[in-house]
Amino acid sequence: MNPGAWLAIALLAAAPPAHAGRSCERKLPDARNVERAMTLAEHTAQRLDASGAQVVLVARVGQDLREYGQRYSHFGIAYRDAPAAPWRVAHKLNQCGTAKSAVYRQGLGEFFLDDLFEYEAGLVVPSPEVQARLLPALRDNRRLAQLHTPAYSMVAYPWAQTYQQSNQWAIETLAMAQDPSIATRPQAQAWLREHGYVPDTLHLSAFQRLGARMTAANVAFDDHPSAKRFTDRIETVTVDSVFRWMNRSGLGTSIAVVR
Amino acid sequence: MKAFRQPALQALIAAALLAAGAPAAQAHPPNASDASALSLLPIAISVSAPVMILSAGAVLSVVAVEASADGAVWVLQRASDGARASLTLSGQLAGAMSVAAGTTIAVAAISTGWVLSAAGQAIAFIPNEIGKALLYNERVTL
Repeated sequence: MNPGAWLAIALLAAAPPAHAGRSCERKLPDARNVERAMTLAEHTAQRLDASGAQVVLVARVGQDLREYGQRYSHFGIAYRDAPAAPWRVAHKLNQCGTAKSAVYRQGLGEFFLDDLFEYEAGLVVPSPEVQARLLPALRDNRRLAQLHTPAYSMVAYPWAQTYQQSNQWAIETLAMAQDPSIATRPQAQAWLREHGYVPDTLHLSAFQRLGARMTAANVAFDDHPSAKRFTDRIETVTVDSVFRWMNRSGLGTSIAVVR
Repeated sequence: MKAFRQPALQALIAAALLAAGAPAAQAHPPNASDASALSLLPIAISVSAPVMILSAGAVLSVVAVEASADGAVWVLQRASDGARASLTLSGQLAGAMSVAAGTTIAVAAISTGWVLSAAGQAIAFIPNEIGKALLYNERVTL
């Protein structure tokens, strides 16, 4: 092996903090977590290879959401160009606890190199038809950016366009790829409704909502209908709701767990 | 490059406590769209003598750290025999690494490469061929 070709990644000052959900701390990651993340990435790649698929939805457990009945916190769309090519994940990331976000194409290593609550991946393989329509969009930066809204709220309302959280970008992009006539977020959301997608409802007290809005730039509730938000019902696009819908609607398989 | 982090929800626990004198336990909404990442690791590097420094269990010390326009070079010395190697890290943040001359570094070999750590904290990852295929970082939108 050519030593000069060896890549190294420095897990710098900008590395992940001790726990998910905290602000941007400039803190080095625990070495053990890097080992676990890279191992999970390798195991996930092996499972993806064995799936025979070219496009797979991949989720991670970034924090403990059991209180809200949720398992996975974030998902992206993994794909590869050819049978021997490396897997890449298209997903949206929130910028350091700010109200901004961007779309990335990353390796499985980067996808899991975070301070995860549990080192487990959830995979859903879309039907061959859904995969075939998604693949060209995943290769095309213009299409990945097409429905991206930079304004970020982690509890963005699924049927509004003021904000867009990461899972919402992924499911809207999936919808866009399925129908060539879809060019806007309202159209993608209409397609999702027509195809039976139902978001999850998180029960957040007024106390929780107030605290969140006052202390976090990336939490907003003003895009939610008043009737719902004032009765503690916050609907948003969760990974679990997307995965259940994929399976229920025949658009994808049930969840496969990788550790 | 900007660092990307998960939303700061725990912070509101403190606010909740102050506001109501309530127990902090459940006063935070979920980050149901948990975005974040270590996505912006400085990448790219060469190792002048990989066989020497990348043996599992090796204990190295940092002899020198040089920042360059596009990264940094660390000169490492193996504790057992004084053999040296240089590790070139690229990325804007590499020069800002909190690694100083004299730092003791441990090497752990895993199936995807080698994790270099100091006092239990990872300071660099050197992928092997398997690891290289798992690493890629491209920002698609502004």
